[in-house]
Amino acid sequence: MGARVPKLLAGVIVVAVAVVIVVAVVTRGQEAGPLTTPWGEPDLQGIWTTEFDTPLQRAARFGTRELYTEEERVQLDQERAELLGRDRRVERGSELDVAGAYGSVFMSMKRTGRRTSLVVDPPNGRLPDVTPEQRERAAADRAFRIDLLRSTQTCKSGSTACAGGTYDATPSPRREEALARYNTARMNRHFSPEDGSLGDRCLSGGLPGFGGAYGGNFRRIVQTPGGVSIFYDIDQGQAFQRNIVMNGRPHLPATVRQWFGDSRGRWEGDTLVIDVTNFSPKWDYMGARENLHLIEKWRRTGPVTLEYEVTVEDPTVWTRPWTMREEFTRQNEKENRIYYEPRCHEGNYGFPSLLLSARLAEKAYAEGKGPHPATKDNATDFVGVEDNPLAR
Amino acid sequence: MRKMLLVAVLAGAVGAAVSMYVTRTTTSGQTTRPARVEGRPNFSGIWQANNEAHWDLQAHEARAGAVTQEGAYPFEYARVAAAPVVALGAAGGVPASLGVVQGDGQIPYTAEALAIRKANAENWIDRDPELKCYLPGIPRAMYMPYPFEITQSTNKIHFGYAFAVTARTVHLDEVDPPPAETWMGHSVGRWDGDTLVVTVSDFNDKTWFDRAGNFHSEALTLTERFTLITPDVIDYEVTIEDPKVFTRPWTIAMPLYRRLEPNMQLLEYRCTDIAEEFMYGNLRRKPLVTRWEGETMIVDITRKVPPGDRFYEWFRK
Repeated sequence: MGARVPKLLAGVIVVAVAVVIVVAVVTRGQEAGPLTTPWGEPDLQGIWTTEFDTPLQRAARFGTRELYTEEERVQLDQERAELLGRDRRVERGSELDVAGAYGSVFMSMKRTGRRTSLVVDPPNGRLPDVTPEQRERAAADRAFRIDLLRSTQTCKSGSTACAGGTYDATPSPRREEALARYNTARMNRHFSPEDGSLGDRCLSGGLPGFGGAYGGNFRRIVQTPGGVSIFYDIDQGQAFQRNIVMNGRPHLPATVRQWFGDSRGRWEGDTLVIDVTNFSPKWDYMGARENLHLIEKWRRTGPVTLEYEVTVEDPTVWTRPWTMREEFTRQNEKENRIYYEPRCHEGNYGFPSLLLSARLAEKAYAEGKGPHPATKDNATDFVGVEDNPLAR
Repeated sequence: MRKMLLVAVLAGAVGAAVSMYVTRTTTSGQTTRPARVEGRPNFSGIWQANNEAHWDLQAHEARAGAVTQEGAYPFEYARVAAAPVVALGAAGGVPASLGVVQGDGQIPYTAEALAIRKANAENWIDRDPELKCYLPGIPRAMYMPYPFEITQSTNKIHFGYAFAVTARTVHLDEVDPPPAETWMGHSVGRWDGDTLVVTVSDFNDKTWFDRAGNFHSEALTLTERFTLITPDVIDYEVTIEDPKVFTRPWTIAMPLYRRLEPNMQLLEYRCTDIAEEFMYGNLRRKPLVTRWEGETMIVDITRKVPPGDRFYEWFRK
């Protein structure tokens, strides 16, 4: 015990000295790193995260302006702080309140970043128009999902989750239909594991890797001469790793599809450019599937910063390619600020429970002991999500 | 400023290129790579064990399946394939091996642990975490029948595994321990001459060593030794300590081979959805397997012969 105090003190002194040295550039948790590897390639290594919240699309009032003023950031943070802890639950005791129990305590909220939007191209910071075929596909998909809700309290109560649909006490005959494409989102039907959303099945982490409101937003890059690998923890308990193929060989044959695509990288000056194709039709990024094509650009912009830019292309979904940009900050190596073992799948009791409860509800109904399963909503969550000042 | 940086980068690249090519280079695997990284042997590339350790670390003869049942005889050697693997025929059997356990070839279990290991083997389908696509743990991930890729830097070495698309980082620099116990362990490395020595700790008790039910507790610590014996072969040796399960430390050893195909790259084996039918198939509204009793599993298989199948008809003559 006696020996422990000086040790602690020594620790404090070391930290104090370190702070004096790096305080000009680095805030707590961050750590500067070299810009070039010992073997002369640009150095992208370390643990990187985004410390700020940035909306995907820019609010119209900012026009073509990419960055907020400092005053605007302070103002937005104030408005957002007021929403923290606000009760956004729907009526207590209702079906929808079960999901609403995931309150603002569960959601992480970070300070507003510099960028008015992740989207930097088109210049207005808004997603380009979708193609007519995608609009049709999305509308048909939505109509199907709404139809599965039509006999539930959600539609009867006029919830926004039923927007576009009307209540009908008779369960939809469409309940027996197979979807036109592989399901990736929640629906009010749990006939099979494939009816589950990718999130419920622990399959939702993927590219492009910006991370989200739940769970991690970390990536570790390790380089070797001629090689780059990235480990991701960017979603609720779902991690993955990728090895960038840097030998100039062409992409995989079209018959080989992967959840995380096929990454081919090259150095262009100080930028790592990665071309990603061969995505699986089971993966969905905003409607894009096997035709998704990403061009990622990774570039160091300072001792603690790394710029990540990704151009998203899929002519079957969008009328033009579009680009997002974000700056990541380098995290302390000793503190090892990344969680390597997001164990969504290893601890997934929720998903089999969803399936089992669906079977029990069917059994109860068949025995005349319960309501028709289609009259219960087992799909909707986060209704009544508050208005977001970053999207206003 | 940008220009100066670029000049520095180029100068560095030229310098590095010169030092690269005075040493042996290898074009196998992913990229042309130097034989050494900052003075250390370069383990970067795609590797795979080529043995039967994933079935059983210990010496064993071939058997009819990973799950077997008594046939006409009560003898252990006369057991026949059981329901879950019978449909796979000879592809479902377990190949023989001389084992990878060093010394007397025995795993020094305590008496209590040996009973658990036996029960694990008998309940393999329900208990083996590999079947559920859970994180495989170390050392198992090193000799599963899937490739893995090493990306070796100066302060960190990344191991990326095809199985479960998972990874571990070997820390060569100072690092804090993990916030909780782990499936893949906490790996801290150092150089002993040209040998990479990695101590792995902070495990949970949920991973196994193989498909034979060999297991450990959360007290497991590993000392791995990686030594290049040729540019394309690593001598891999692991000393396993776990005083709650074993009476003494024991060691396994095997070569790891470089995947030499010129177009080799690590392809993902994201088994989360691959394991779904196994884990949740019994919860389908219309089960694809009609009888299924998990824990411990009973599966009924109906053999459907296509009408007019000439081999079936021939056998029936």
